[in-house]
Amino acid sequence: MTPAVWTRSLRKEFKLGWGRGRVLALEGLDLEVRRGEVFGLLGPNGSGKSTAMKMILGLLRPTSGRAEVCGCRAGTLAARRQIGFLPENPYFPVFLTGAELIRYYGKLSGMGGRGLEGRVQELLSLVRLGGEAGRRPLRTYSKGMLQRAGLAGALVSDPEIIMLDEPTAGVDPAGSREIRDLIRELKERGKTVIFSSHLLEQVEDVADRVIILHRGEKLREGRLDDLLTQTGEWQVRAKGLAEAQHRELRAWLIQRGAEVVQEGAPRERLEDYFLRSLPEKERR
Amino acid sequence: MREAWRRIRAVAANTFLEAVRQKVFAVLLVFALVLLGGANYFAEFSFQEQFKFLKDLGYATISLTGLLVGLLGAAQLIPAEIERRTILTALCRPLRRWEFVVGKYLGLASLLGVMLGIMGAVFWAVLRWKEAQLIGAEGQAVAQAIQAEARDPRLWQAFWLIAAKLLVVCGIAVFFSTLATSTTFVVAMTLMVYLIGHLQSVAREQWLESGEAAGWALQAFLAAVALLVPDFNLYGLIDEIVAGNAVDGRATLQVIAYSLAYLGVLLAASAWLFEGRDL
Repeated sequence: MTPAVWTRSLRKEFKLGWGRGRVLALEGLDLEVRRGEVFGLLGPNGSGKSTAMKMILGLLRPTSGRAEVCGCRAGTLAARRQIGFLPENPYFPVFLTGAELIRYYGKLSGMGGRGLEGRVQELLSLVRLGGEAGRRPLRTYSKGMLQRAGLAGALVSDPEIIMLDEPTAGVDPAGSREIRDLIRELKERGKTVIFSSHLLEQVEDVADRVIILHRGEKLREGRLDDLLTQTGEWQVRAKGLAEAQHRELRAWLIQRGAEVVQEGAPRERLEDYFLRSLPEKERR
Repeated sequence: MREAWRRIRAVAANTFLEAVRQKVFAVLLVFALVLLGGANYFAEFSFQEQFKFLKDLGYATISLTGLLVGLLGAAQLIPAEIERRTILTALCRPLRRWEFVVGKYLGLASLLGVMLGIMGAVFWAVLRWKEAQLIGAEGQAVAQAIQAEARDPRLWQAFWLIAAKLLVVCGIAVFFSTLATSTTFVVAMTLMVYLIGHLQSVAREQWLESGEAAGWALQAFLAAVALLVPDFNLYGLIDEIVAGNAVDGRATLQVIAYSLAYLGVLLAASAWLFEGRDL
């Protein structure tokens, strides 16, 4: 089976104009995203994440190299039929309502008639913008609502690949958790999800594999488990031990030649604590 | 092709909807309608002069409003989409770039068509209103002459010529909008071409007649102006009609055909330029 996305020596230079030379945005990127996996593009601002995404989407032409989507050259109609895209910021026509936005994107994808109308209603419910919210202009939406509307727009043609550019940037913790839950749900449905982020904890939650970019170059690539597992150490979390037993356990470990790297009561992540503090109906 | 047409229609409908939901176009229309309606109250002259004044003011109002709609609407087309980056979420879909350009143009042309339709209908109603008023004031003796002024079929010729001229202006604006990232640039360049277009025939004559006398640089410049800029003097037929002179229907059709041909070239060039543009 052809990979969902494949790039070879993908390079992009931007001309600065007026004889000011060129700037290198991406240098020889080799990439293979398998079908059905959640793939994270990581890197600081200016690392080339968005440039890579735009070339895969056909919005930018590579200076050299090649990109393919499900075996089709990136940018062709056949390739774009396979992709749904959510941009970093809510770049949507704000004069439209939520329902109109999804309908518009559906029509641009060649959909129409009752099939499209049913899909619009289905997606509005999926992203919790059904009823009155779907009939409001986008300019009255919060950032989280806009991201959800955009996500519904990306999903309207039921694409094979979903590309999300910084999907959780600027979204509150509950909204961010919701987007990550949705990414997991998409994976369960067999979709390929490619997303960029610099919020590393969030990537860790959902990605199967990641690539780390820096100043347009690939630094690392691999499965998160392989990259993050510290094979030289072993960790046990236990419940119900008294203070004396802690000391006893430490002494036992030292006696056997182990170096105690870390010990103590584990801390909950702030995001989990925050979400637990909210009333139950607000957590979603 | 059917699917392409569906996508073009979606872009056009969205462009039209965006314009309709902006207050600026509604305000422009209201001002135009007030001007058209108000023209009826200048009644100090003979009926021929009154009709001449009405037609002058009417066509000037329709032309100017149409020009402003075209310029402002075109400025909203591609540069505004690039500035707001909404273009990314549209062009990442299975939509060809030429379909996007044509859809944008058709959306703007639809807006212009609706506004011209409303202004044309109001202008027609004002003429008929004037006709009834003048027949009441001047008596049945001159009724036929008044009716001939108010119901002159050449007035529709002028109306179609204005529409054709404005469609070309919108085409020029779309052309510049595929090159630019700034709305100001589009408005300024379109306005410049509009003004130069009125001097195009002078440049053409100079180019054809200058021969060896002019240097190559001047000749090249004159040739470029003559070949690239549309000849807006052709629409001078509108003034002839308003002045009451006979204008051959074939001449009107030729100007409309010239407009459509020029528009075709403009849209093809716009689509070609936009195809290679990085977004």
